[in-house]
Amino acid sequence: MLETRKLCKSFGAIDVTKSVSIKLERGERRVILGPNGAGKTTLFNQLVGELRPDSGEIHLAGEDVTALPVAARTRRGLSRSYQKNTLFDGLTVEENLSLAAAVATGHESSMWVDSLTRPDVREIVQEVANQVNLMPYLHAKVSAVSYGVRRQLEVGVALATRPLVLLMDEPTSGVGPEMSKGFHDLLNNLPRDLTLLIIEHDMDLAFDVADTITVLNYGEVVFDGEPEAARGSSLLKEIYLGSWEDA
Amino acid sequence: MFRHTPFRYATLALLAALAVLYTLNAEYFGLELVAEIAVLAILVLALDMVAGFGGMVSLCHGALMGIGAYAYALLTTAGGLTAPVGMLGAIAITAAFAWVIGAICSRSHGIYFIMATLAMGQMAYSYVFEAPIFGGDDGLSGISRLDLSLIGLDLNDGRSFAFFCLVMLGLAYGFSALVLSSGLGRSLSGVMHSEQRMRALGACVWRVKADMFGVSGGIAGLAGVLAAQHVMFVSPGLLAWTVSGEALVVVILGGLGTLVGPLVGAVAFIMLKHEISDMTSYWHLVVGLILIAVVMSGANGIFGWIESQVERWRPRRAAMTDEEIRKREVLSDA
Repeated sequence: MLETRKLCKSFGAIDVTKSVSIKLERGERRVILGPNGAGKTTLFNQLVGELRPDSGEIHLAGEDVTALPVAARTRRGLSRSYQKNTLFDGLTVEENLSLAAAVATGHESSMWVDSLTRPDVREIVQEVANQVNLMPYLHAKVSAVSYGVRRQLEVGVALATRPLVLLMDEPTSGVGPEMSKGFHDLLNNLPRDLTLLIIEHDMDLAFDVADTITVLNYGEVVFDGEPEAARGSSLLKEIYLGSWEDA
Repeated sequence: MFRHTPFRYATLALLAALAVLYTLNAEYFGLELVAEIAVLAILVLALDMVAGFGGMVSLCHGALMGIGAYAYALLTTAGGLTAPVGMLGAIAITAAFAWVIGAICSRSHGIYFIMATLAMGQMAYSYVFEAPIFGGDDGLSGISRLDLSLIGLDLNDGRSFAFFCLVMLGLAYGFSALVLSSGLGRSLSGVMHSEQRMRALGACVWRVKADMFGVSGGIAGLAGVLAAQHVMFVSPGLLAWTVSGEALVVVILGGLGTLVGPLVGAVAFIMLKHEISDMTSYWHLVVGLILIAVVMSGANGIFGWIESQVERWRPRRAAMTDEEIRKREVLSDA
């Protein structure tokens, strides 16, 4: 569904992505782990098209999308949520979801039809609001809801584009343990055919929802496999889990 | 995001009623004022669409209006077209110019967008000023008004023309409201709040901006057509950047991003200008002081201020009604 082939990117002398090749099957849920500065977000930015790789290829559903801009990749089914909330702050929760659903249903540039009142747009908004537990907040302005709700909306907006592949950059960043648990349930309730790629610091979440785990260190894939194998790997303990267990 | 509220509908109805009453009873000078207000109101509607709902603060809307005026003048005089075809043609030409300007400037933001549009407007101004086909400094004359004798109206009569301008203003408002409530209008609002997210959602951001700038340009073109018909003469002064600046002042005075506010602003601006210029030739000074007061008050223009007062008063009234209901219940229980 989503594949990178020998992806490379460097900023000056620093190689932030070193020949990364990963392959996600349809419906696979993969968590990317790695210490700070491992190049996780940089990899994400290349996948969605906000950064151009120096070399290598990105394939989405069998098509080479390496040269395509952000919007074109989204229209082909790749959607992302941000580590730092990137929402339409002055608008309501419902309007945020509607704008995403309007693009997904092709009403975003119609000059005569109000996209917000279209039945197909409303249907997606209801469905996503149920999926990410936003029903009680639909009419509240984003600036008036709590940080936790905004994190949910961040994922909701990405889901409302009806993606084939959803990339989530630290969905639980900044929320407490209670909320974090809620996110596990939320992720487990998403449709099974949706392919997920999640950057996460929360190890519990990683082992709870992931089918597979990729560990990045200094821009390199140092582990690629099942969560159980990751738990036993001494290399991982050294570079990542080690410091986590000591803490 | 654009929405009509009951208060906005009420304001529109009040403005329409006042305009009709005034136009029915006005003398020659009053009718000139009505036409002048209607033309300015159409121009500021166009500007509010992009500046208030898309964050695209344009300093070329005066030039767009001028393009509309010159296009109408040339199409109907040298081009030999009839007035209705000339009007539609002029609007289409202006919309096309605006679309190109919007597409080129769509990548810049804030002060850079303002400067880019200013440069576009100045280029149009100097070209019109220099090129012989536009009559240079002398402008073009001999422009005729639309012939509505088929339905028994003579637009050379001041009252009929004032009503005609008001009808055009009503159409322009309805069209602006329709487009702002469409998928395109909603997307523009998304672009204003977060361009990055809108792009990540799969929207073509530059197209959204260019399309709305084109629509806005078409409406500015209509203002130009009416301006040309009003004075039956066009001069390069129509394209001067000060016209754009004045339009921006009116939008801010009335209430940016409210669509109704700029109408209020246009009425207030023209009325102030004529009342104060009767008393002193330094009327710009007084309008300047009023603008500073409005901006410093922290409210969103005259209409924005009234609207916020109404909203503050509303929940209080609701609370009082609750209180009254409780009192009544207590009384009935007793």
